[in-house]
Amino acid sequence: MDDYLSGEEDDYYYSSDQESLDGLDNEESNLQLVSSRINTAKVITKESLLAAQREDLRRVMELLSLKEHHARTLLIHYRWDVEKLFAVLVEKGRDSLFSGAGLTVLEHHRRRDSSSVSHSSMMSCDICIEEVPGYQMTRMDCGHCFCNNCWAGHFTVKINEGQSKSIRCMAHKCNAICDEDVVRTLVSKSQPDLAEKFDRFLIESYIEDNKMVKWCPSAPHCGNAIRVEDDELCEVECSCGFQFCFSCSYQAHSPCSCLMLELWRKKCHDESETVNWITVHTKACPKCYKPVEKNGGCNLVTCICGQSFCWLCGEATGKDHNWSSISGHSCGRYQEDKKKQMERAKRDLYRYMHYHNRYKAHMDSSKLEDKLRDTILEKVTISEKRQLQLKDFSWVTNGLHRLFRSRRVLSYSYPFAFYMFGDELFKDEMSSEEREIKQNLFEDQQQQLEANVEKLSKFLEEPFEQFDDDKVMQIRIQVINLSVAVDTLCKKMFECIENDLLGSLQLGIHNISPYRSKGIERASDFYTSRSSKEAVGEICQPSNCGTSGRNSEETSCSSRKRPRKDGSHRNSQTTLLDLNLPAAAMERK
Amino acid sequence: MIDFSRVQKELQDCDKDKDASGIRVCPKSDSLTRLTGTIPGPIGTPYEGGTFQIDITIPDGYPFEPPKMQFSTKVWHPNISSQSGAICLDVLKDQWSPALTLKTALVSIQALLSAPEPKDPQDAVVAEQYMKNYQVFVSTARYWTETFAKNSSLDEKVKRLVEMGFGDAQVRTALESSGGDENVALEKLCSG
Repeated sequence: MDDYLSGEEDDYYYSSDQESLDGLDNEESNLQLVSSRINTAKVITKESLLAAQREDLRRVMELLSLKEHHARTLLIHYRWDVEKLFAVLVEKGRDSLFSGAGLTVLEHHRRRDSSSVSHSSMMSCDICIEEVPGYQMTRMDCGHCFCNNCWAGHFTVKINEGQSKSIRCMAHKCNAICDEDVVRTLVSKSQPDLAEKFDRFLIESYIEDNKMVKWCPSAPHCGNAIRVEDDELCEVECSCGFQFCFSCSYQAHSPCSCLMLELWRKKCHDESETVNWITVHTKACPKCYKPVEKNGGCNLVTCICGQSFCWLCGEATGKDHNWSSISGHSCGRYQEDKKKQMERAKRDLYRYMHYHNRYKAHMDSSKLEDKLRDTILEKVTISEKRQLQLKDFSWVTNGLHRLFRSRRVLSYSYPFAFYMFGDELFKDEMSSEEREIKQNLFEDQQQQLEANVEKLSKFLEEPFEQFDDDKVMQIRIQVINLSVAVDTLCKKMFECIENDLLGSLQLGIHNISPYRSKGIERASDFYTSRSSKEAVGEICQPSNCGTSGRNSEETSCSSRKRPRKDGSHRNSQTTLLDLNLPAAAMERK
Repeated sequence: MIDFSRVQKELQDCDKDKDASGIRVCPKSDSLTRLTGTIPGPIGTPYEGGTFQIDITIPDGYPFEPPKMQFSTKVWHPNISSQSGAICLDVLKDQWSPALTLKTALVSIQALLSAPEPKDPQDAVVAEQYMKNYQVFVSTARYWTETFAKNSSLDEKVKRLVEMGFGDAQVRTALESSGGDENVALEKLCSG
C-alpha cells in the first residue's frame, strides 16, 4: 500500500511485485509499471447492484450489530459514506448516530412483549378513528401504533411521492423512519408492484445517493453504474464501451479540466462568437436597421436601401465626400477607441477559431478512424490467414488503440490551451512573459504529438494485408515505434500540464484525470473481482477502512499518488495484456 | 378512496366543542370533499373580532395527504396571499401527518395569525410592510379585518335601519333585494 516511490519520477507507480518486474530490464520497467496499476472501478449491473452494496451493509451491520434494514437506513442517511458514518459514531456515539438518521432500534424481546399483550383485544387507531382488533395493528420501533390499513395508505402515498428512502412515522413530529420490512409486508399485500417500486428505490439509493457510484451516462442508457474506489477524479470505461469522466459524467475529456470543458462546450454551443463578429464587422443602417458590412473603400458607406452613412459613427450623411471628410459631417474623435475595441474582438475571435478548428479537426478524424476500426481489424484477419512469417498482429490492435486514445487527448488539448493561455481563467495567474514561455513549451509538445499521431494513422491505413513479409515487417516496426512515441509524448504532455502549467497555479479547481498508458480504465465486472477472492476478507482490508483518503483534495495537481491496493485484482488484469503493455515491451516478450 | 367516515367523525368531533374553540367545519354541499372552516381572529392581534372563512378541499389521499386550505375571507398577513388567500404553512405541506386533523390544521392557521413568519412569506408586499413599517401593517390588517371579516348578522342590520326610522318589514325586503348589503338597502329605502 505504501510502495509507491518518491523521487524524481514520482508520477509513476512502482511496485515491489515480482511479476511486474520479471523479464524487463530497468529501462522499460517505467512504462510497464505505469500501465500495471490495478483498476479499481467496477461495473455494477442491475443484477450485481444488491451484491455491491452488501459490503457496505455488512460492515455497518457487523460493527453495530444491526439488522440489514437498519444498516440501510443509516447508510441512506449518511449517503453510503461508511467512513463518515463511523466518524459520527466515534465522535457522537451510537444514540446520536441513530437518532440523527431517524432510527430506533428496540431490543428484540421488548418489542415482542409490547405487541403480544394487546394482540386479541380491540384497540383504537388514531388515524381512521376506528376500533380495530389488536392483530390488525402494527407498532413501529418508535412506539407509535396504528392500524395496518392506515399504515398501508400512508406508505402508498409516500412511495408514490418518491419518498421511499425516508418514510417517516405517521405520528405528528415523529422523526422515526419506518421499518422497511413492515413497509414491504403491508404494501405487498394489496399492491405488489408498489412494493417492488419501493424495493427498487431502496436498492438504487446506493447509486443515487452515493458519490462513489454513478450511472453510466451512455445514451441509450446501458443500465450500468460504475463504482470507483478512492478517487472521483478519473476517467472510466463502462462495460458498454462508453468512456466518461467520473466527476462530470461527460465523455472523457482529459487534459481539459471539467470546468474548461464546460466553458468550452458552452462557447461552441452558443453563437456568441458569431454575434461578436456581427457587432464588430457590421453596423446597422440608420434607415433600414439591417446590418451592413463594409467591403472596402472609404468611410462613407451606402446601404442597399440607398441610405448613405458614416462608417465611423453610424450616422446618416449626404452622398458627397472627399478624401478627408464627408460633406456636412465630422466625427473623427472616437476613432481610436473603436479601433482598439474592434481589434480586440477580432483577435479573440481568431484565437477561438484557431483552437476550435483544430479541436474539431481531430474530433472529426477520430470519428473517421472509428469507422476505420472495422476495416483495419478485417485486414488483421486476412493477414493472419496468409502464409507469412509473422503470425502475431497484436501490434495493429495495439497501435489502433493508441491512436484512438492519443487522438482524443490531442483534440482536447486544444480547448485546454485555449483556456490555459487565454485571459478568461488565468489572466492574473501569470505574467505575459511567463505565459509565452509556457505556451511555447506546451505547443512544442502538442505539435510533436500531432505529427506522430498523424504518422501512426497513416501507417495503420496502409493496405498491409496485401504486402509481402518484408514490407509488413517494416510497417510493423513503424507502428510499434510510433505507438511508443505517441504514448511517451502523451505522458510528457500530461506531466507538463500537471507540473508546469496547472501545478503552479494558485487555483486548485482545475484537476485533470491522470494519463494512463494503457488507456482509460476499463471498469471490471463486479462479480469477477469477487469470485477471484471470496467474500468477507475483502470488506475490511486496511487499505479501505483505515485511510482517510479524502484529505488530498487540496492539492491542485492531479498527479497525486494513489497508494497501490494489494494485488488481489491483478489476476483479472493479465487478460488485458495486449493493451496494457507498451509496444516495445511486447516486442521484447 | 377518501375515508369519508374519518371526515364524518372529525366533523362530529369538531361540532362538540365549537363553542369553546370557536372553530367550525361545515360541508359546503352534500359531498364531504368541499368544506368550509371558520376560525375567530385571535385576541390581541389585528385580526381580533373578525371571523375568517377557509375553503377546505379534501384530496383523494386524505388523511395521508394534507387537506387543501385557502382563505376565502380576505386577510392582510405575511404568510397569506392578499390576492388568493393561499396559505404558507408547513403542516399543510411537508410537515403534514395523518395523525393531524382538520381541526388541528385550523388551530395551526389560527396560531399563524397570531405569530406571522415574515421571513418565509407568501405575500412579499405584506411581509415587507411587516418588517419595515410594523405600525402601518397593524392598521392595514385591522382595517382589512373590519372590512372583510366582520359581517354583522341580519338582525343587527335590521335593527340599525329600523332605528333610522324605517319599518321593519320594509327594511327586511330592502335587505333581501340588495343581497344583504346594508348601504345598498339604505339607498333603496331612501329613494323608494
